[in-house]
Amino acid sequence: MTSRDWFRRLGVRNSVVLLAAAVLLIWTVFPFVWILLTSLKNPGDIISVPPKFVFTPTTDNYAALVMGEQRGQYASTRPDFPRFFLNSIIISIGAVALSVAAGIPAAYALARFTFPLKNALAFVFMSFRFVPFLAFVIPLYLLYQRVGLYNTHAGLIFAYQLITLPFTVWMLRSFFQEIPLEIQEAAKIDGCSWLGVLTRVILPLSMPGISVTVILGFIFCWNAFNYPLMLAGRQTFPVTVGAIQFISYEQVLWGQMAAATIVAALPQLVLSLMVQKYIVRGLTMGAVR
Amino acid sequence: MTTRKRRRWRREAALPYLLLTPALILLAGMVYPFGLGLYYSLTNYWLQYPNRFRFIWFDNYVALLTEPLFARALRFTLGFTLAAVVLQVGLGLAVALFLHARIPGRKALRALMLLPLMMPPVISALMWKIMMASTNAGILNYMLSFAGVAPINWFGSTNGAIASILIIDTWGNLPFVALILLGALQALPTEPYEAARVDGASPLATLRYITLPLLSPFILLAVTFRTMDSLRIFDVIYATTMGGPNDATTNLQIMALQYSFQWYQMGKGIAMAIILLVLVVIASALLMRLWNQAAERTME
Repeated sequence: MTSRDWFRRLGVRNSVVLLAAAVLLIWTVFPFVWILLTSLKNPGDIISVPPKFVFTPTTDNYAALVMGEQRGQYASTRPDFPRFFLNSIIISIGAVALSVAAGIPAAYALARFTFPLKNALAFVFMSFRFVPFLAFVIPLYLLYQRVGLYNTHAGLIFAYQLITLPFTVWMLRSFFQEIPLEIQEAAKIDGCSWLGVLTRVILPLSMPGISVTVILGFIFCWNAFNYPLMLAGRQTFPVTVGAIQFISYEQVLWGQMAAATIVAALPQLVLSLMVQKYIVRGLTMGAVR
Repeated sequence: MTTRKRRRWRREAALPYLLLTPALILLAGMVYPFGLGLYYSLTNYWLQYPNRFRFIWFDNYVALLTEPLFARALRFTLGFTLAAVVLQVGLGLAVALFLHARIPGRKALRALMLLPLMMPPVISALMWKIMMASTNAGILNYMLSFAGVAPINWFGSTNGAIASILIIDTWGNLPFVALILLGALQALPTEPYEAARVDGASPLATLRYITLPLLSPFILLAVTFRTMDSLRIFDVIYATTMGGPNDATTNLQIMALQYSFQWYQMGKGIAMAIILLVLVVIASALLMRLWNQAAERTME
């Protein structure tokens, strides 16, 4: 059966649909496939013309990544990728933990109490998402240089609050608001104080929401690039800043950079699939459910 | 009211503020550098010449606004934002309508589209940078050669650089628009569609007179988020063109970066960032108003 027969049997409409689905699939997935292939090539195969789809795979690029700064040629100029990976984990977990600890009571107050300035405060939290980062980073850089927070995990965790705190407060608020008021009132009648309502009603019932907020917050921290670019040094670079270290004046280490992008992307790709139902909600800070 | 009761009442009034305290302390930690930045933007703070530090009122702003590069950077910022928003919202709407029409494998496609969306933008940029190598060793140029396109100098030519940043940003953010609109489509009421079918309306008329008006608040929401982010795009440009070639892709962020971390004129750099902030605030105020109007219209 020739392809023309095949399309005729499928019908015009179905062929168009199939074609569109294929285009969408290739557009979405091909970059990942190509980078994975590139990360398995040796330098000669990477620059070959025409590009090679079939080649002898090598794990050299990944080996070089894992080796980090420890061994090998030009050790001192080699990006220390294992350390960058560890930095990403430390900073992301620290930033999310701090935001959630401060965000839970704040979101509870904003979801369940009425008080003057409530909406103004909620709006102030939200507005930080839209400020150009340099308006914060330049003064933070100058302050950090003075007080010794430059190039430290603590300094970065604090700076990352600009990413995670507004997000955490708004997300948790939207999840807390979903809990029916009746349950809270029943608990109050049974003698629960505000603390009892929070720990025995709100927190257990919004556990899924809190997990989603934690995971998404972690992903956003993992993706952060501009704050660490200015406030971190070689000892505290996360993977995002680490990955561009493979570009230097002398050369671009394409294969290692490809391997680095795969490794840098992997944790959050797995996490995103876990929380896929909530991603749009997270990216709009709770505006779209 | 007894004193005890009154004290209790006062404590309850203070409770929400108490609960907010930790978050407000962190917030203060953000407001402080921002305020400091506002002050620095009115000084000639130059890291290499700390002794010359002087309060100069709005001289930085005046100098920036009258500089030739500013006009170019502003034009690129606005032009890029317009192009990116039109492209991403237009294609995103098309993809959402496509996936809404019960095609086979749409669940898998929907899940796969999350992958570019959740990639760190700088990592997406590096991935495309590998694919956009300017010789035929670059897979993109190689593929285009089959369509008879001569090798494109992606990051080295003006048009190539602008196109590549648009492509990379669209790859990452088209799914954002598509998923918002797909979610909205799946939650639309069914009655208007039944009425339209009874009246024998064509699919195109249904789209024009029912779907699009009902979707308009969500389309505007997507436009708002995409506009805010496109005005401030940074990661992708930094990892690919760095504002080049010849400042063709220098937006206000990159310009602020050059002043602050390349030439260490911190005051001017912050002033640039604040000018961008004003632009973002104006855009968001306008879009919020449109969004409110659209939301009210669909309520009726």
